[in-house]
Amino acid sequence: MELKPPPANRREAWGRRVLALAVTTSLAFAVLLGQLWYLQVLEGGRMHELSEKNRIRIRPVAAPRGILFDRNGLALVDNRPAFTLSFIPREMEDRNTVVARLSVLLKIPVGELLEGLEKVPNDSIRPVRVRRGLSLEDVTKVEERKLELPGVIVEVEPQRVYPTSTFAAHLLGYVREVNDEQMKQGRYRRGDMIGQSGLERLLDDYLRGREGGERIEVDAMGRQVQIMRREEPNPGAQVITTVDRRIQEAAEQAMAGRAGAVVVMDPRSGDVLALTSSPAFPLDRLTGNLDRDEWVRLVRDPMTPLMNRALQGQYPPGSVFKIIVTAAGLQEGSLAPMDRVYCNGEFTLGNWTFKDWKKGGHGHMDLRGAIAQSCDVFFYQAGLKVGGDTMARYAHAFGLGAPTGIDLGGERFGLVPFSPSQRSRSKRPWQAGDTVNMSIGQGQLLVTPLQVARMMAAVANGGILWKPRLVQRVEQADGTVAYTASSKMTERVELSPVVWAFLRDALTAVVKEGTGVAARLPGVEIAGKTGTAQTIAKSDSAKGQDHAWFASFAPADDPQVVVVVFVERGGHGGDVAAPVAKQIYEAIFLQKVAQVTIGESG
Amino acid sequence: MLRLDRRLLHNVDWPLLGAAFFIIGLSLVCLWSLNPGRGISGLVWRQLSWVGIGLVGLIIVISVDYRNLVRAAPVLYVLGVGMLLSVFVLGRTVSGARRWIHLGPLTVQPSELFKLIFVVTLAWALTSGRTERLSRAALAGTFVLLGVPFLMVVRQPDLGTALVLVPVLAATLIGIGISLRMLGFISLGVVAAMPLGWLVLKPYQRDRLLVYLDPFRDPLGTAYNVIQAKIAIGSGQLLGKGVGGATQSRLSFLPERHTDFIFAVFAEMWGFLGCLVLIVAYVLLVLRGFEIAASTREPRGRILALGVTTVFAAQILINIGMVTGLLPIVGIPLPLMSYGGSSMVVSLTALGLLLSIRMRQFH
Repeated sequence: MELKPPPANRREAWGRRVLALAVTTSLAFAVLLGQLWYLQVLEGGRMHELSEKNRIRIRPVAAPRGILFDRNGLALVDNRPAFTLSFIPREMEDRNTVVARLSVLLKIPVGELLEGLEKVPNDSIRPVRVRRGLSLEDVTKVEERKLELPGVIVEVEPQRVYPTSTFAAHLLGYVREVNDEQMKQGRYRRGDMIGQSGLERLLDDYLRGREGGERIEVDAMGRQVQIMRREEPNPGAQVITTVDRRIQEAAEQAMAGRAGAVVVMDPRSGDVLALTSSPAFPLDRLTGNLDRDEWVRLVRDPMTPLMNRALQGQYPPGSVFKIIVTAAGLQEGSLAPMDRVYCNGEFTLGNWTFKDWKKGGHGHMDLRGAIAQSCDVFFYQAGLKVGGDTMARYAHAFGLGAPTGIDLGGERFGLVPFSPSQRSRSKRPWQAGDTVNMSIGQGQLLVTPLQVARMMAAVANGGILWKPRLVQRVEQADGTVAYTASSKMTERVELSPVVWAFLRDALTAVVKEGTGVAARLPGVEIAGKTGTAQTIAKSDSAKGQDHAWFASFAPADDPQVVVVVFVERGGHGGDVAAPVAKQIYEAIFLQKVAQVTIGESG
Repeated sequence: MLRLDRRLLHNVDWPLLGAAFFIIGLSLVCLWSLNPGRGISGLVWRQLSWVGIGLVGLIIVISVDYRNLVRAAPVLYVLGVGMLLSVFVLGRTVSGARRWIHLGPLTVQPSELFKLIFVVTLAWALTSGRTERLSRAALAGTFVLLGVPFLMVVRQPDLGTALVLVPVLAATLIGIGISLRMLGFISLGVVAAMPLGWLVLKPYQRDRLLVYLDPFRDPLGTAYNVIQAKIAIGSGQLLGKGVGGATQSRLSFLPERHTDFIFAVFAEMWGFLGCLVLIVAYVLLVLRGFEIAASTREPRGRILALGVTTVFAAQILINIGMVTGLLPIVGIPLPLMSYGGSSMVVSLTALGLLLSIRMRQFH
């Protein structure tokens, strides 16, 4: 194939062909210039106008926060749409004027409006949330003056709504906008709503879901022209807790007007059926816009409503501790059911005189009677027989003075002096009087109501100490299970079956014929122990007000539920705490009876 | 080998170098203005360091006689294909495309370098025959040379790079004097092969082509880029909006605004007059390249020069064509303007090749 002319001409031919290519290329460049002329000069005005109008907004679409359910599928919280006032920084041409107008219109201080704005770049197209929970009236005001308020928009976001303001407040916890401190973790975006306490905080990663978003084009009036891209939000996961909403409600009702805590637990699994601390704080007030005064009032309130007394309150157990003394004495052989003591209302040890709570004493007492009547004199002597070390050892074995391992944060340890005889030299040496005090749950002993509930569950189930379970499982929106927790035994108390049986019998006697008769409920045999813990007077007015305890389980022969009631400075355990427990048992068992009847008739 | 003959320095093509550095300067200004007021941003520093590395490549290429390079073509070609293959193994996926491989802290885009290797290999293949005539076998050979990497690059998927190789081959064949009849046959063959090519394309590449044919097909996805780029360019009008006023570009309406779409940024800021200056600089560069090709006597050198020039011309035309809405969006950087290490280093090295051929023209 002869493709090329002879060498003489070849160079010339090559040059010509390259020239042709160069000309072609130049023509192509000329076409480009022509297109640029068309776009920039001929169409330039129109394009310029387009670029001016061309406003793109990013509209976040909040993911609905996951719902928390009780064990029967009843919702503990829900979401409802709420209005949020937001700024789009880039669209606020004259932000001072806009902010001033808005401040007058809605009566919001200018400082509050500017606060959020200062934290984002001026040309951000992401809305900055300024105020949540806007009233319909305010929304109308803003919409009416839309034209005077460039860059101000009203967004609709799902917000938490609660059955009542304080329902299960400590358990659920409140949801608030992420604060500066939390922003530093780098996991959140400004304006995110996150759980700040309780289960909402514990499960926040599951509950929060993932925010979706829309990229929308708007015209100069802020009207949507088109949605350019939409990414659906990922709704938060649903949480099935172990709580029984009806029991929780009953417990809160029974505690209304009192300070203290109630823990209801299933001794067969460690499930927390109800957990309440009162006074509670208003969840709904903490969720939307919280004004500073309200917060300060909550924090400074002498009744400390923010504290979860069930696991953060540390109190002397009082006579409830006699269960430990009995268990230790019987198992170690230092006590026997037939031991008899005459109680004249006083016990003298050296120079010290210890009084019984009952003036004049209980008379002749055996161990069972001493538990039923909560005879202090009997236990002063029993405590000396058992010894401080052994009592402390058994207290530890039953989980007192140590965290229960519940998943809620901030749990306190309580205090059980570990080995009273081997205390560090710096402290006052342990004396026989300390042992006597300890035997009725006074002195240095401190426990939390949750620890007592766990202990009572162990008494009820024959020694199993559960890690209290609050969450059964977490289900993603698509139905997949993201997390499950089975019951977890953390410790086991090994006592002879005879001792367990004796304890159960004696505790039954407390309610049947002893100090706990106020908890008696026809049809259900309840086993329990009252406690009245002396307090150190904080002030004159509070002087002499004792903490009231009632720790119990039922039915006594087949324990299904543990109820621990603690009433702060309430008075006598039998008078104050036991009736509260009774009310709760009514709700648990009468409701069950009703359910069974309905089931049968249907 | 790296010793530079003093005589050679007299033959440095200063206008070519000048045009190139003028364009690089515009690129740096453009990158800086994407983030003004915050000092010199990291983008500019990185681009500057790519320029530095590219200059090293340029100097090395100048120091070596390009004929040695052409002799090494088979080795280079095998290495190049190996690099392209390595992407499938070591590749990093960026927005659906596997084009990059990691070399320590750097990510390299082998297809960029391959453009150059392809030109060198063409020069070798078309001149290694005994006779100076182009045999049918050699012609078929060039198509095999094109075909192997072409399929790979299309699958990578980096349609843009592959498309640059086609005009390079075409220009080279025209340059060495392929008959018009043969050219007609080949064109027919290419058209016939197009449906086949359609099968090889990834869905998003098909979308882009379809959108080009009918922009309203997808006003929210791919066409959005075209529309936004057109608005940015057009709104620059005659004189441009200046650095501060270029809202389209700065406010992230423009996708890939510092890489493939940098021309739109430039056009918005500097208007038609600025574009005219930039295009004149590019035309100068390309015409200088053609001039070098035309005036070189040595066969390998002139094919090489023609090929390199066509690589530049094709990339510039396709990039600006697609940003202004004349051509479908295929993902090609604008040489010497777009941000990106591989592109900058390869462009400067290619420039070095042109200079090297120019310097040794009169041997």
